[in-house]
Amino acid sequence: MAGKVAVVGLKFACAPDLKTTRERLVFELTRGLFDELGIDRHEVDTFIMCSNDFIDGRTISTVFLDAPSGAYLKDETKVEMDGLNALIYGWMRILSGQYDTALVVSLGLTGSQASPYLNIQYSLSPTYERQVGLLNELAGAALQARSYLSRSGYSEELLDLVAAKDLQLAAKNPRQGRRLEAVDVDKVRSSDYYYEPLRELHCYPRTDVGCVVLLASEKKAAELTEKPVWILGAGNSIETYFYGERDLSRSPSAAEATRRACSLAGISDPSKEIDFAEVSALFAHQEPLLAESMSLIPEGEAEKAYRDGITGPGGSMPINPSGGSLGGHTVCAGGLLRLCEAVLQIRGEAGPVQLEKAGTALVHGQDGLCAQQNAVLILGA
Amino acid sequence: MRNVGIVGVGYCPQFVSKRKDVSIPEMISEAVDAAFADSGLGPQDIDAIVFGNMHTFEGVNLPHLWSVEHIRALGKPVMRIATGGTTGMTAFHAGYYHIASGLHDVVMVVTFEKHSEGDAQVGLLGIITPEAVAMMMAGIDLTGEGGMGAQGGGSAGAITYQAVSWMHKSGATIDHIDAIAAMERRNAAKNPYAHLKDPEATAEKIAKTPMISYPVRYGHVCPTTDGATVCILASEEKAAKIADKVAWVWGVASCASDPTTGNLIEGLITDPAEQMQCVIAAREAYKRAGIEDPKREIDYVEIYNGFAHQTLMYLELVGMCEVGEAHKLLEQGELEITGRLPVNASGGVVSTNAIGTSALNRVTECALQIMGKAGERQVEKEVHKALAHGWGGLMQYASITILADKPKKL
Repeated sequence: MAGKVAVVGLKFACAPDLKTTRERLVFELTRGLFDELGIDRHEVDTFIMCSNDFIDGRTISTVFLDAPSGAYLKDETKVEMDGLNALIYGWMRILSGQYDTALVVSLGLTGSQASPYLNIQYSLSPTYERQVGLLNELAGAALQARSYLSRSGYSEELLDLVAAKDLQLAAKNPRQGRRLEAVDVDKVRSSDYYYEPLRELHCYPRTDVGCVVLLASEKKAAELTEKPVWILGAGNSIETYFYGERDLSRSPSAAEATRRACSLAGISDPSKEIDFAEVSALFAHQEPLLAESMSLIPEGEAEKAYRDGITGPGGSMPINPSGGSLGGHTVCAGGLLRLCEAVLQIRGEAGPVQLEKAGTALVHGQDGLCAQQNAVLILGA
Repeated sequence: MRNVGIVGVGYCPQFVSKRKDVSIPEMISEAVDAAFADSGLGPQDIDAIVFGNMHTFEGVNLPHLWSVEHIRALGKPVMRIATGGTTGMTAFHAGYYHIASGLHDVVMVVTFEKHSEGDAQVGLLGIITPEAVAMMMAGIDLTGEGGMGAQGGGSAGAITYQAVSWMHKSGATIDHIDAIAAMERRNAAKNPYAHLKDPEATAEKIAKTPMISYPVRYGHVCPTTDGATVCILASEEKAAKIADKVAWVWGVASCASDPTTGNLIEGLITDPAEQMQCVIAAREAYKRAGIEDPKREIDYVEIYNGFAHQTLMYLELVGMCEVGEAHKLLEQGELEITGRLPVNASGGVVSTNAIGTSALNRVTECALQIMGKAGERQVEKEVHKALAHGWGGLMQYASITILADKPKKL
């Protein structure tokens, strides 16, 4: 890996209903970012689009999005999975020396226009699981939650603690899509069961999300920003599809993705060298589960860590200081939403949820049922 | 920048209309095994996988997730690329950047389409379904781009505008389209991985097929095919250890334009034969490959021709001949396997179209010609440099790859 690549600009929007079209959303975010940076589209060398045809309801869903994002007669391609992978592709393209800037454009309107759960439903094998119809995203997540709590010997209250922490932070964060008033452990516990042990407030909300992120080489970054946030390492890994063959209480693919990312970043002990993490935990149990698998907190000590506030904004390993995915998530743009929050933290621009120490961050994104595939990025000032 | 070379190619054993004997992952697995056999590599040698197809054609979603065992990807990075018709080549480009970035050394590019599981025209109509629904809800908006999208129809409907415009510019006639279609069918007969083959094809025979929409006849149109293609790429250091014959990547480029449906009322329609994105992508790829005179330096070309006229049209657009010259080269027999500018010795997309593989097959066929491993379809002239072309979207995407028999001087 030769050369350095930085996030030099970003713009995003997250709400239950953004009340706009995909084309206008992409145009406003891209145009807004260009105006903020004082550049035009010709300073972007390559465009990486990222959206899902099923969620967009259109085959080759970028056909009408290239022009509004500024990619007209420019180099363009599309990654169809969590947006962190689109960002990783942009990073690769700049590292190759072929390009100096790359714009990642991602969106998913799963608040106002499509059910987010459909994405998982349709991504089951058409020969077996999808036809049987017994498995869906919520049922799968509930099995994973039960499996994790049982193996670890944690009480169901851990889920309430995680959700209450995230929802309280999300309420403070003006950029989040779901901001509930006066939410606490009791309020979480009094929400209805979807599938035991998962309650309504343990699950990510239906939100519309759009995200644009500009990457630049070291030379170009110096021209574009005074606060570059560097990509120090990245990794991706996937585990078996077959649900019954997985130990759902652990995430070996998140562990492997972290190992790859940390080895590129020169990090040997994430729990000591990472200041905070933004994790795509779509359900409350996934936050401690992934944090353990990614070596951010010791295995078997999650419940204690959450009770002691270690993962809170004042703790030694703040996880999702933005409020995380329980405040807003969508297909494809979900991981980039976490990335944007991490970049704002590192720049010291996170506003009411700003941490005191935010030098190095771990960012995570996921694809598939129960996070079958995971991407991890390490960012630093 | 690092040099990257193709060290292995694998096709599933047959490209046909309906593979009822295998599921999607099983069909992909056949091509993966073939690529391993070709390169002598195994799953343990692969650092990362790039996966491409257009899943709406099968009515499935994110098939890499449930094909993970079959692409031998457990525990590895997998990237899914989907850009319409260009998918095979843009996935190849992603594989190239995995290595050129210095992050990986050996990368496997996996592409497929199993059209028999769905309906390609339904999938293509999915591009404009949102417009059609909006029109039903809010009335027909003829002044908007979306409204025109809904008038485009399936791909054969929209393509006739392009064919007519190209004929007008080039001076070619429908007889030339019949003749190039016949040449592709005859070439396909020499390719064990082609779908529609006819060793006896002639222009007269093609001319007897029914007219779909002038000037596009049934015999000018690609089939819908089931098939999978795998290509293994390696860094220069690794490639030397893996393979005796390597096809080296000299330049890759892509470009996007607007959907060529335009706005008819205000006269803002893009000429679908102009294909500015193809001209730009080719120019950029030549620059990156250090090619100054493609006519002299490129020995072999694979054009993505979902429709027969496109072989001739794109030869002109990528600068392999002047506008109005391609159909004359065809008349002189120069585009044949035995000619001075052989094109689509494989039979092209018009003979075999498993969409996710189609643009990658252009690259792998160029690679096999360079390696001298194209069997009966090997062209007579020596191939030192070759150009692979792909198009997609609403006639709005273009991708170009330039390969050579030696590593590029860095």
